[in-house]
Amino acid sequence: MLQVYLPVAEISVNLLVMLGLGAAVGFLSGMFGVGGGFLLTPLLMFSGIPPAIAVATGANQIVASSVSGALVQWRRGNIDFRMGLVLTVGGVVGALAGVRLVGLLSKAGQADLFISLSYVNFLGVIGSLMLIESLRAIARARAGKPATPRKPGQHSWLHGLPFKMRFHRSRLYISAIPPLILGVIVGLLAAILGAGGGFIIVPAMIYLLRMPTHVVIGTSLFQIIFVTAIVTLLYATMNHSLDAVLAFILVIGGVIGGQFGAHAGQRLKGEQLRLLLAVIVLAVALRLLIGLVLRPADLFSLAPVMVGA
Amino acid sequence: MRQALLLSLAASLVIPRVAAVAAEPARPEQVQSDISAREISIQSNFNGIEIVLFGSIDFGRAPSPDEGPYDVIMVISGPSQPVVVRRKERVAGLWVNGAAKTFSSVPGFYAVLSSRPFRAVASEATLKTLGLGFASIDFGKSDQSGPEADGFRSAMIRLRQEHGLFQESDDAVSFIGRSLFRGSVDLPVNTPIGRYATQVYLFRDGKLLSHSQSSLQVHKVGFERVVYLLAFRHPFIYGVLAVLMAVTSGLAAWAVFRKE
Repeated sequence: MLQVYLPVAEISVNLLVMLGLGAAVGFLSGMFGVGGGFLLTPLLMFSGIPPAIAVATGANQIVASSVSGALVQWRRGNIDFRMGLVLTVGGVVGALAGVRLVGLLSKAGQADLFISLSYVNFLGVIGSLMLIESLRAIARARAGKPATPRKPGQHSWLHGLPFKMRFHRSRLYISAIPPLILGVIVGLLAAILGAGGGFIIVPAMIYLLRMPTHVVIGTSLFQIIFVTAIVTLLYATMNHSLDAVLAFILVIGGVIGGQFGAHAGQRLKGEQLRLLLAVIVLAVALRLLIGLVLRPADLFSLAPVMVGA
Repeated sequence: MRQALLLSLAASLVIPRVAAVAAEPARPEQVQSDISAREISIQSNFNGIEIVLFGSIDFGRAPSPDEGPYDVIMVISGPSQPVVVRRKERVAGLWVNGAAKTFSSVPGFYAVLSSRPFRAVASEATLKTLGLGFASIDFGKSDQSGPEADGFRSAMIRLRQEHGLFQESDDAVSFIGRSLFRGSVDLPVNTPIGRYATQVYLFRDGKLLSHSQSSLQVHKVGFERVVYLLAFRHPFIYGVLAVLMAVTSGLAAWAVFRKE
């Protein structure tokens, strides 16, 4: 029923299942305001898509969701384009390195392990932090204490670095080095995880760069467009692991799910949302970890030997 | 298909008469065969396909009743490519790809069918020479040998079997009357594209009497072909188009759903 043949993955998948997957991730990303790539890629892997294809295709799908997300933020004037460009420059370098790394690991037969392990680590850490933070926030709200406001404009060692740039929209005058390095890390992660890396860059922008919260989401979405676009392009040319047909199905599902998710998200409180997201993130990490720890049903696996590349 | 059948029918009518006129010495039996489809197209609804191999035996002379039955073995093999087999090992509590072995030339698809169990049809040596059956396939040069390597070889065959890409079946070729026979093979959804060679061998009493071959082409058509060719021949354009697709979809989603 409604099987669709994926020309690059060379497998046949159920159209409704893949649309549903795109919609589910779109729903979550609309609800939580996150990119959703870090959930999409593992879910694709769980449903039998080879990890290398899941990563490349996931990156392609995020281009679409971050374009529409960034447009919304742009209309509200919430994008610091200058900061976005600096981050993107770093991101391109990171993406190049990441795609190259995954390509080399693929040849050595270790890419799947590396991708899974990276996911277990990142999702495990982020999920735990979010869980703790949201539980505390909920406890605080019950106790009736107000949330402690962040102190803006604090000076730190970051301000001693050279190559200072003025970021008007963020009302910052800081060295270009921290955002460049941050960009490299996010590019690397985007390439390895097939995710936008919003869950890394958003906290880093708030706590490390001390950017005002209102420009953080828009700016991160803006740079994610370019980073994931470059990751998509690199995977297509260097590893031939992009399945555009699958990406298109996921994009359509994601657009539909995203609309419903945004409405659902407005009904829940911030800390409840974060708690729910933390639980989902930890569940995905646990599922991946179980896959690595349990004795596989078959110890042997086959892979074609790439000629050239 | 019909033409081939007509031809073989005509041949079986004409040749015995010629043979009867020539009388001696008796011309050996000939086998002729064809495939139900010379071209298989993979498009978006492709979910595997069954192909039928059929053929007929031209008797050079009237078979005497005391001789054994005719046996047919059919082989279909797809384009070969190098394949690496990896074995997972437990490292620090995690199952990690460890030892690996590369086979330089593994057919992407291999099916062998016979009218009786292989061993009953011909000797092991004959089967080995002709490359009939899993035990006899030549996977090209490999980077190691010994009992360790045999484990990898059998694992590869097993994995390919699980994906329907390697098939071995006794009694899958059936005779219709005395001279016509047929056998069917399922090409799975993940069947590789390219040229497939089909071989039909005619045996009696363990002796190879005749051999016939043909080929079929599996290719992607329409949209799938365009996508596949773009992805592998013009990957940069493919990547740019994929990004553009995503950007356009994102723009469209924003334009449709924006609240203003």
